[in-house]
Amino acid sequence: MSSSNEWQVDILDAVQQCVYCGYCGICPTFRELKWETYHPRGILDQIKMYFEDTTKEELKGDISKSLFDSIFACTMCKACENICIADIPLLKIWEQVRQESFKRGRWNPALLSLYNKVKNTQNIFGLPKDERVSWADLSNMVMTKRTQRKASLAYFVGCQASYSGKMEGVAASVVKILRKARVDFTILGDEEWCCGSPVFLAGGYSVGKSFAKHNLDQFKKLGVKRIVTACAGCYRAFKIVYPRILGDKWDLEVLHISELVAELLEQKKLKYKKTIKEKITFKDPCELVRHCGLIEPPREIIEMIPGVRYEDLPSNREEALCCGGGGLLKLNDADLVRQVNSRLIEEIEYSEAEIVVNGCPTCLDTIQQGVKKKGLDVEVIDIAELIKRAIGE
Amino acid sequence: MKKKTRTKFVRYLGKQMKEDFSALQIYSRDMSKLPNLTKLLFNSTPDGIILPRNAEDIQRIYNLATETRTPIIPRSGGTTGFGGSIPYNKGLVIDCKGLDRELLIEPIDQTVTTSPSIIFSELQKKLKLQGFSLCSYPSSYYSATVGGWISHGGHGIGSIKYGSVVDQIVEIQVVLPNGEIHSFYEKENISLFFGSNGTLGIITEIKLKIKFDIPLKQFGCTFDSPVELMKGLKELQEVDPFSVWFLNPSQVSAFNDSFGYNLPRSYVAIISKEISYDEEELAFSVNFNNTIRKAGGQILDKRYITDIWDFRFKTFALLKEYPDFLISEVILPIETSAKYLRKLTGLFEGSLRAEGELISNTHYSLLLYLPIKEPISDFKKTLLMLKINKHILKSKKIGGFPYSTGLWFAGYYSQIYGKEMYKHYKNFKKKIDPKNISNPGKVCSPKMRFFPLLKLKFVIRMASELL
Repeated sequence: MSSSNEWQVDILDAVQQCVYCGYCGICPTFRELKWETYHPRGILDQIKMYFEDTTKEELKGDISKSLFDSIFACTMCKACENICIADIPLLKIWEQVRQESFKRGRWNPALLSLYNKVKNTQNIFGLPKDERVSWADLSNMVMTKRTQRKASLAYFVGCQASYSGKMEGVAASVVKILRKARVDFTILGDEEWCCGSPVFLAGGYSVGKSFAKHNLDQFKKLGVKRIVTACAGCYRAFKIVYPRILGDKWDLEVLHISELVAELLEQKKLKYKKTIKEKITFKDPCELVRHCGLIEPPREIIEMIPGVRYEDLPSNREEALCCGGGGLLKLNDADLVRQVNSRLIEEIEYSEAEIVVNGCPTCLDTIQQGVKKKGLDVEVIDIAELIKRAIGE
Repeated sequence: MKKKTRTKFVRYLGKQMKEDFSALQIYSRDMSKLPNLTKLLFNSTPDGIILPRNAEDIQRIYNLATETRTPIIPRSGGTTGFGGSIPYNKGLVIDCKGLDRELLIEPIDQTVTTSPSIIFSELQKKLKLQGFSLCSYPSSYYSATVGGWISHGGHGIGSIKYGSVVDQIVEIQVVLPNGEIHSFYEKENISLFFGSNGTLGIITEIKLKIKFDIPLKQFGCTFDSPVELMKGLKELQEVDPFSVWFLNPSQVSAFNDSFGYNLPRSYVAIISKEISYDEEELAFSVNFNNTIRKAGGQILDKRYITDIWDFRFKTFALLKEYPDFLISEVILPIETSAKYLRKLTGLFEGSLRAEGELISNTHYSLLLYLPIKEPISDFKKTLLMLKINKHILKSKKIGGFPYSTGLWFAGYYSQIYGKEMYKHYKNFKKKIDPKNISNPGKVCSPKMRFFPLLKLKFVIRMASELL
């Protein structure tokens, strides 16, 4: 495990900037757990106690127990940083503390197991590499010619859409959209490695960096200039993390599928043919909206669908609620995920939407479970699937 | 805490009680961190923290506390700097954020029933979805809780039109220190819990008046001196504002420095008014401009107004570059405070920043921040705190008083709420908490920890006056 200077912030200096206003109490997991040890300002207090030289060594054990427990109860939704009036880089701090936890051997077994799986198999499920394109077989698609061909656009499928049965429709939908618009594109196939997002979130820096280097080499080999993905986690990794760790070498344009569709609609390469009558709402994934500032494209392309009835959720855009599934919380506390998710499900119920559209596999899975638990008659789909329907595929 | 006492609580509470080092440290402070030197006056590190889930939990906790004479310190958002929610001398902090309940909005009565732990911004968001709004709310809108604001004695944005939070309470349910769960409806009794810092029990449910959600429009003006500002505050009442909020010249400079504004270094006031349609806005605008001219003020350039208003909940951000800061708040009378205000904001080489909010026809609240530019010793920080306190206490001469009692102003309840109210408070306290277990050291001045012949109020006052 190594760390990089550009990855780090001066943690004590950053903590010092806290004015203790408490606005970061908006944190979705603190709102459920209630103890101020889980309040971001309380976590900053603990960080200060843990990292300060003046703290007695015998106390550091106690402090670290509470600190690491709190830091892994975080969904990394960035609501805290978004509202922070002192502009403290909280996400970087949380990542750094997670790295410290790794260094001290304080990860929980589930987290360590995920880390090892990703490290050894380059996907989050620990499944064989040669099954990475099995989603195509399941959708009766032949991707052989598209795999590892030279093209300026690459579709980065992501681990969830590649391996998870729940997300199988996502990759097929993206491919159908691209084919319909006659866009030349490539996929990396077996050579697509996890974007590294889970390991970065866990605090595993060096493994994540090797993944980033591998994926960049693959893109360069194929002459790729633009990458499109339907996964908010991969999108964030490419937009935020890769430039941080690869520097100028990372010169590729990164698009979420909603951005590419907006472009294709504008260029009239894509046309909507079907009317969708159901009331639709969009749940802004934290990694798109707060991490990357992607707000309007998903709304624009939904609102262009003929006959659409669209309404935002009460908490939307930068104030969108977290689904609870991020930050690897599922591995640490599945009950807490359900608790956090229940607030979002209440908003979905209030919206009376018949279709909840999303742009993140983690949100999709978590919302589907929440909707099912509450017994709501709501369809939860990825934005690529909605567009596929609207273009008549 | 004695082992036997601890066992009793742990046995009953299990995981609802925390005693680890980190938690104890976090709960030993509120918005301001007490200098270590104040340990001579207070021991603010609790023995444990409890997160009750309902009124019955609190009932049992109070019964155990009475039996074992354990101090119980209610805490909610922990967003003030008065120390009302931190221990005077150890005890168990009761974190009220665990008290959840479904929100009940009654559109016909225009009321909302809520738990005390709800944060204002969250409550307002839920009300707005139904077309309603809070009548008034604090400047710590994104972190203060409704229960905490009541206990602190809250006035704030909207108070000039709709009164303090106590004027909006229709009913409150409280667990009294004697273990009784009681609902109060009469203003006289409800007022007991306003500003009492949880010394009379823990609020578990609140029914508040709400209003229709009418859009707010902002207007701005400047005044060159405190005398003109006070004249303006009087005149502005005629235009029926929702809020009159002003900044002193130091705070205006901080805005200029942070945002590249070019505001005049004078008193800047932003007036917010409920306005439903364009014609009303036009008519109000003419009326407003005339009112300001009459008071000797200048109309503020429109481009700044919305930006400043939108920043009203975030002005703490202007302190982020400083290694430390001190904060306090005072209530001042409009009629007699011009000279005092001039003197106050001239202290500390003019670096004391102030934000005022008109809270009634006669008074305004003044939030004071003192940025500390270089790291200073504990001793110096304590001296600065005492110096600010001294000037707040001096406001008595002109009819002013501290915003709340908390830890620092314990003993000044009658100055804030009047002698009659204090008598009522004392009688009630004696009846429901004879062993003084509910937040001891607040409201009524406690005896000194190390020298019980003296009261804390006396010691703080003497120390302040020696400066």
